[in-house]
Amino acid sequence: MTTFLTFTILGLVLGAVYAIAASGLVLTYNTSGIFNFAHGAQAMLGAFLYWQLAYGWGWPVWLALVVVLGVVGPAMGGLLHALIMKGLRDTADVTKIVVTVAVLLGMVYLSQWIWHPEEARIVEMFFGSNAKVEFSGVVIRVHEIICLVVAAAIAIGLRLLFTRSRVGVVMRGAVDDPDLLRLNGHNPERVAALSWMMGSTLAVLAGILITPIGGGALQANALTLLVIDAFAAAMFGRLRSIPRTFAGAIVLGMTATYVMAYFPSAWTWTSNFRISLPMIILFVVLIVLPQERLRGAAIRTRERYRVPTVRRAAVWGVALVAVVYLLKLLMVETSVSTFALGMTFAIIALSLTVLTGYAGELNLAPLSFGAVATIVVFHFGVVGTGLAARLDVWGVLLAVLVTAVVGGLVALPALRLRGLYLALATLAFGVFLSNMVLRDTTEHTVFGVTFSLFPNGSLIIPPLRIGPLDLRDGDTFLMTATVLFALIGVGLIALRNSGYGRRLAAMKDSPAASAMLGQNLVKLKLSVFMISAAIAGLGSVLMSSAIGSVASENFNVMAGLALLMLTVAAGIGYVSGALFGGLMSGVGFVIIVATFNDLAAANPDLAPVYQAIGSLSVVSTALLGIGVGKSPSGTVHDVVESYRSLRDARPVLVGGAVLEAALYGLTLAGIMDNWWFAILTACLVMMLPVFGRMVMARVAPDEGRPAPHRTPPELVGVDEPYTEELRRELDRELGLSGHDRGPTPGGRRPVRSGAEEGNVHVVA
Amino acid sequence: MTGQAAGGHEMDATSGLSPGTADAGGPEPLLELVAARAAYGPIEVLHGVDLKVEAGSVLALLGPNGGGKSTTMKVCAGLLPLTGGDLRFAGRRVNGISAQDAARLGVCSIPEGRGIFANLSVRENLWVATGTGARMEEMEEAAYSRFPILGKRRNQLAGSMSGGEQQMLALSRALGSNPAVLLLDELSMGLAPMIVTQMYDTVAQLVAEGLSILVAEQFARAVLPIADTAALMLHGRVVSVGRPDEIEEQLSSSYLGG
Ligand SMILES: Nc1ncnc2c1ncn2[C@@H]1O[C@H](COP(=O)(O)OP(=O)(O)OP(=O)(O)O)[C@@H](O)[C@H]1O
Ligand SMILES: [Mg+2]
Repeated sequence: MTTFLTFTILGLVLGAVYAIAASGLVLTYNTSGIFNFAHGAQAMLGAFLYWQLAYGWGWPVWLALVVVLGVVGPAMGGLLHALIMKGLRDTADVTKIVVTVAVLLGMVYLSQWIWHPEEARIVEMFFGSNAKVEFSGVVIRVHEIICLVVAAAIAIGLRLLFTRSRVGVVMRGAVDDPDLLRLNGHNPERVAALSWMMGSTLAVLAGILITPIGGGALQANALTLLVIDAFAAAMFGRLRSIPRTFAGAIVLGMTATYVMAYFPSAWTWTSNFRISLPMIILFVVLIVLPQERLRGAAIRTRERYRVPTVRRAAVWGVALVAVVYLLKLLMVETSVSTFALGMTFAIIALSLTVLTGYAGELNLAPLSFGAVATIVVFHFGVVGTGLAARLDVWGVLLAVLVTAVVGGLVALPALRLRGLYLALATLAFGVFLSNMVLRDTTEHTVFGVTFSLFPNGSLIIPPLRIGPLDLRDGDTFLMTATVLFALIGVGLIALRNSGYGRRLAAMKDSPAASAMLGQNLVKLKLSVFMISAAIAGLGSVLMSSAIGSVASENFNVMAGLALLMLTVAAGIGYVSGALFGGLMSGVGFVIIVATFNDLAAANPDLAPVYQAIGSLSVVSTALLGIGVGKSPSGTVHDVVESYRSLRDARPVLVGGAVLEAALYGLTLAGIMDNWWFAILTACLVMMLPVFGRMVMARVAPDEGRPAPHRTPPELVGVDEPYTEELRRELDRELGLSGHDRGPTPGGRRPVRSGAEEGNVHVVA
Repeated sequence: MTGQAAGGHEMDATSGLSPGTADAGGPEPLLELVAARAAYGPIEVLHGVDLKVEAGSVLALLGPNGGGKSTTMKVCAGLLPLTGGDLRFAGRRVNGISAQDAARLGVCSIPEGRGIFANLSVRENLWVATGTGARMEEMEEAAYSRFPILGKRRNQLAGSMSGGEQQMLALSRALGSNPAVLLLDELSMGLAPMIVTQMYDTVAQLVAEGLSILVAEQFARAVLPIADTAALMLHGRVVSVGRPDEIEEQLSSSYLGG
C-alpha cells in the first residue's frame, strides 16, 4: 500500500509538471493558431539559464528564479512573437510547423554552443533531495510538494483568467476571428503577444521543475523531448480545454509511474516502454479523439509552386547527372563520399516532396521510416561476410516494400487526421521507434528464431552491388545515387502531372471539396504515404551503406526534423528543393563545421574566432527555417522566379554559361582551388538575374510585346486582375465558345457552346 | 491591416466621433469615402468610391453580388487599407486607421455572416464587445431588454444558438456600445423573413435615437423603408445615389442587365 501511495504521488508530481508545460502550449495555440514545437526547447533553454545563474554563477536561488521566470521567460515569448510568429498569419500548416521546428533546432544548437554538451550539469531539487516530509509512511520531498502546489495554483489561475477576466475571454476569442476582435476594439497582436509571454514562462517553469525529477542532469536533446511528452497531455484537451489538459497530464504522469513500478524490471524493455509511453498515448489519443470537421472552403495561403512538364524535368535530370559527373572530377576521394552521402539524404528528402509538397500531408519523422528499411536490409539483405559483404538488390527491394507497408500501417489509423494532427502522429511514431526499436539490443526468440532488432546498438550496412555495379567504389556510389535521385525526381514530376497528382493537389487545397467530388481521400492518403515511405526507405538504405555503421542517433527525430526544415526552406514543392535540402542537412553541417575547424587548426591565433563562426553558422541554419515564414514557397522558388525573366535574354545566359565553363576549366587544371570555384559559382548564379534585368532593360526598353501569361489559370482573378483578355484565353483553354481547337490537353471533350449543352440536358 | 495613418493625422482615440466638429462651413458628414480605392492583394476591387453618411441619416448600399459592398464596409471599418483616395471620420482624414482604433472612435461594424465568437458564451461575447469602452452592465442591460431570449441564454455558447439569435447577439453590440456610426453588412443573410423584420425594427429604433447607419443589403425591400438615401454599387463603383425609391428601380434593372 505504501508503495502504491508513493508511486501515486510520484505520478501526480510528474503529471503536475506535464500539466504546466502543456497548458503553456495550449495557451499559445489558442491565441495564435500556432502549435509551438519549440515549447520544449524553450523549457530547455530556461533550465540551462537557471543553471547558469544559480549554479554557474552562484546566485541565490530566489534571485535566479525571479530573473528566469520574471524576465527571461516573458522576454523570450515576446521576442518570438514579435520577430517570428506574428508573420505566420495566412500560411499553411507546413510553414507554421517548420518555423517552430526551426526555432526548436536553433535553440538546441544555441544551447549546445553555449553550454558544451560534454560537461555534466546538475540541477538539484528545491531545498535539496533530502528535504522531505512523511505522512504515515509515505515520503514526499519538498520539491515534489512545490510542483504540486505550483501546478494547482496555475490551474486555478488560468481558470480564473479565462473565465473571470476580460483579457482572458478576449484571448479565447482570438483564435476564432482576430478581425472580429479588432472590430470590438481589441488588438489581437497584443493579445497574442501576451499569451506567448505567458506560454514561454510556463515552459521555462516546467523545465526548471522537471529537470531534477528526471534525474537532475541537464541535457539539451533529452530535456527538449521530455517536454514534448507534454504534447500528449495537450491533446487530451484537443488543444483547447485547459481543465482536460490537466486531467490528461495527470493520467500521463500516473501511467508512466505505474509502468515503472509494476512492470517486471527484468523485462529490459520496461524502461524503454516507460520512456516512449507518452508518445504511445499521444498516438492513441490522436486517433481516438473526435476530429475537427474537414474545413470547408480552402483557406488561402501564401505558398505557390509551379509544376514543370515531364520533358523539362527529364532534361534537368540529365543535366544534374552531367553536372555531378563534372564536379566529381574536381573532388578528392573523401569529398566524393561526402557528396554521395548528401545525395542519399536528397533521396530521402524526395519522400517529403511527394508527401508534403504535393499532397500537403506532413511527416515529421522521415528518418524513422528509413530506420525500418535499414533494419530490414540488415537482417535480410546482406550477402557475403567481412569486406566481401554486399547488399543485394532483392534485399533492398524487400526493405523498400516493408517500409511502404509500415508507412501504410502508421498512416492507416492516422488517416482521418489532417495537418497538425497527422504531423504529431508521425512525430509520436518517430520518437516511439527511437526509444523502443532502435534501443532494442536484446535477443528475442520468436518461433524458435533468435534475433535482436538492433544488436550492439549499431548496424553494419555494407555497400550495394547491382550486377556489375559495385558501390564500394565512391565514384560509382555517387553516380548511382545521383541517377537514382534524377529518376525518382522525374518520376515524381510525372506523377504530379498525372491524374493522380492532380487529385493529390485537390486534396491538399480543399479536402472537403475533393471529398464532395467523390474522391476517396482515404485511399489517396494511404497510397501517397506508402509511396513516400518507400522513397524514404530506399534513400535511408543507401544512406546507411554510405555511412557504413549506423546507430540510433543516425535516425533520431531531431535529424529528421532538420531534414524537413531545410527541405521546406529550399522549397518543398520542388524536386530541386529536395536536392538542396537533402545536401544541406546531410552534409552541409558537417562541411561547415569541418571547414571552420580546419581553419582554426591552421591558424591557432584565430582559433576561437573560427570556432565561433562555425557554431554560429550551424545556429543560423535554423534561421533558414525561420525564413520560411517570410518566403513560404522556398528559396528554389525565388531563384526560379528570378531566372524566369532571363528566358528572353539569351546572350546573358550564354555568357553566364561560358563564364562558368571557364571557371570549371581553371579549377580542373588546378589553377584555381575548389573553394574559389564554389564561391565564384555561387556569386555567378546569384548575379546573373540581376545582370540580365539590367541588360534587358537597356536592349529592349519597352518592347510592347505582352509578357507571357504566367499565373496558373486557377489563380487568375486571385493573384492577378481578371481582364477581358484573360477571359478569352480561359475560354480558349476550356474549349468554350467558338475557339474549337480539338481535344483539350486533359483529353476532355470540347464543349461546343453553352446553348447546345443546355439543349442536351433538356432532351435527356 | 495594421497600417499606420498614411500621411494624414491619426485621430486621438479618446476624442470620439461627433457630428459637425470639424472646420467651419457646415456640418461635415460623419463618415465619408472620397475616390476610395481598395484591393485584395494585386486585385483592385474598389475603383474610386464616393460615399457620404450624414449625421443622423441612414444610407443604404445596394447592388448585386460582388459589387463591392462588403469591401466598402471593410474599408470604412478599418479592416482593409485604402490604396487610393481618402477615408474621413467627421471631416478628418483617417486613412490607414486600424480597425481597433476605428471601433474605439465609435464606428461599430457588424460584418457579413455572424459577427460573433462561436466558442464564447453570450455573456462573454458581450464582455468582449465592451472593448470599445462601454460598461458591461449597460451592455447586458441593452441586449437583454431588447432581446429577452439572449438573457435566457446568457451562459450558452453563442455558436450553438439559432441564426436569428446569433444575429441578435451581433446587433446587441451596437445597442450597448453607443456608437456614432453603425455599419451593417447583410443583416438579413440566411434569416427567416419574420426575424429580418424584427432585426430591422431594432435598427429603426436606433435610427430614431439618431444613430447614423451605413447598411449594405442585396435585397432592398427590408432596408429601403428606413433609408434616407440609397446608393447603387456595381463593379466596384457607386453608379448612382438618390432617393431610395429611385434607386430601387435602377436596382432591378441592374439585376436584369447583369
Ligand atoms: N478576401 C478576398 N480576396 C480576394 N477577393 C475578394 C475577397 N473578398 C471579396 N473579393 C472580391 O471582391 C469583389 C467584391 O466583393 P464584395 O464581397 O465586396 O461584394 P459584395 O457586394 O459584398 O457581394 P455580396 O452581395 O455577394 O456580399 C468580388 O469580386 C470578390 O470576388
Ligand atoms: Mg457582401
